[in-house]
Amino acid sequence: MNLPVEEPKLNPHVPTEFSDEKESVKITGFWMFLVTDVLIFASLFSSYAVFKNQVAQGPTANQLFTLGPVILETVLLLTSSFTIGLAIYAMRKQNKAALMTWLILTLLLGAGFVTAEVHDFVTFVSAGATWHKSAFLSGFYILVGTHGAHVTFGIIWALTILIQVARRGLTAVTTRKLFTFSLYWHFLDIVWIFIFTFVYLNGKIV
Amino acid sequence: MSQRLEFRPEADDAVNDEGEALRFMRPHFGEEKFPWVQIWGYVGSLVLTFAALILVVDHVLPPLALLSVILTLAVGQAALQLGVFMHIRESRGLAWQMIFLGMVLLMGVGMVGMSIWIMTFKSGVS
Repeated sequence: MNLPVEEPKLNPHVPTEFSDEKESVKITGFWMFLVTDVLIFASLFSSYAVFKNQVAQGPTANQLFTLGPVILETVLLLTSSFTIGLAIYAMRKQNKAALMTWLILTLLLGAGFVTAEVHDFVTFVSAGATWHKSAFLSGFYILVGTHGAHVTFGIIWALTILIQVARRGLTAVTTRKLFTFSLYWHFLDIVWIFIFTFVYLNGKIV
Repeated sequence: MSQRLEFRPEADDAVNDEGEALRFMRPHFGEEKFPWVQIWGYVGSLVLTFAALILVVDHVLPPLALLSVILTLAVGQAALQLGVFMHIRESRGLAWQMIFLGMVLLMGVGMVGMSIWIMTFKSGVS
C-alpha cells in the first residue's frame, strides 16, 4: 500500500483526547461499542426477568441473597466510578501523577469488587445453589457473571493503559485510551446499579 | 491551562456545516477549577442507592409500586452517571453518541419490556 499519509488535523481548542481527528473518531466508535454492550445486557436482563420465579427445587431469590456483601460491592463500584471521574479531571489538568494515583485507586476498588463478588458466588455454590439448579440461578449467574467478567477485563485493560501512560506520558493517544476506559467503567457502574436494583433489591421484595 | 479547555464552535468546520436542527448535538465542554461536579455526582449516587435500599428494607410500599420506585431511582442514577461522569455532550464535532444512546434506550426498553410481556401468556411467569 502506497497511500499518502494524511496530515493529522490538530484542534487546539478541545481537550487532548479530542485534539487529533483520528483519535477522537475512536471515542465516537467506543460509544457505539457501549451501545451494543447495552443490548447484550438487555437480553440477559430479559432472560433473568422471565426466569426469576422459576426456582425448581432450588432456593428463591429472597432465600439466597444477603444484602450486606451486595451493599459493599455497590459502594466499592460507586466509589471507583468517582475516582475514575477524578482521574479524567486530573488528566484534563495535565496532572500525570494525580491521574495515575486515581487510576490505581480505581483498579484497587475494582479488584475489591471482583473479590467480593467471587466470594459471594463461592458462598452460594457451597450452599448448593449452582447454576444447574434452576432457571432462576442460570439467569442470575449469566447476568451477574457477565458483568463481573467485564469488570475483570476492565482491570486488565486499565493496567495496560497505566503502563503506557507511565512510559509515554499524556499524548493524544494515551488520553483517548484513558477517556474510553472511563466511559467503559462508568457504563459498568450503570449496569451494576440495574443489577443491584432489579436482581438483589427486587429479590428482597416479597 | 484554562485556555486548553475553552471550546470555540467556530473553530471546527464539522459544527458549522450543520443546520439549526442539529443544534442539540453541538458539543459542550465543562470546565471547573475544583471537581465539585464529580463530588456532587458521587454524593448523589450514594443518596439514590441508599434511598432505594431503605425503601426495600422497610417495605414502605406494596411490591409493584416499590419496584417501580426503585427502578425510577436507578434510571435517575444512570442519567446522573451519563451527565456528570461520562461527559455525554463532549465531542470534537457533533455529539452523535446522544443519538446512539437514544436509539439503544428505545431498543433496550423494548427488548426487556416485550420479553416480560410476551412471557406472561400461557406460562407460569406472572
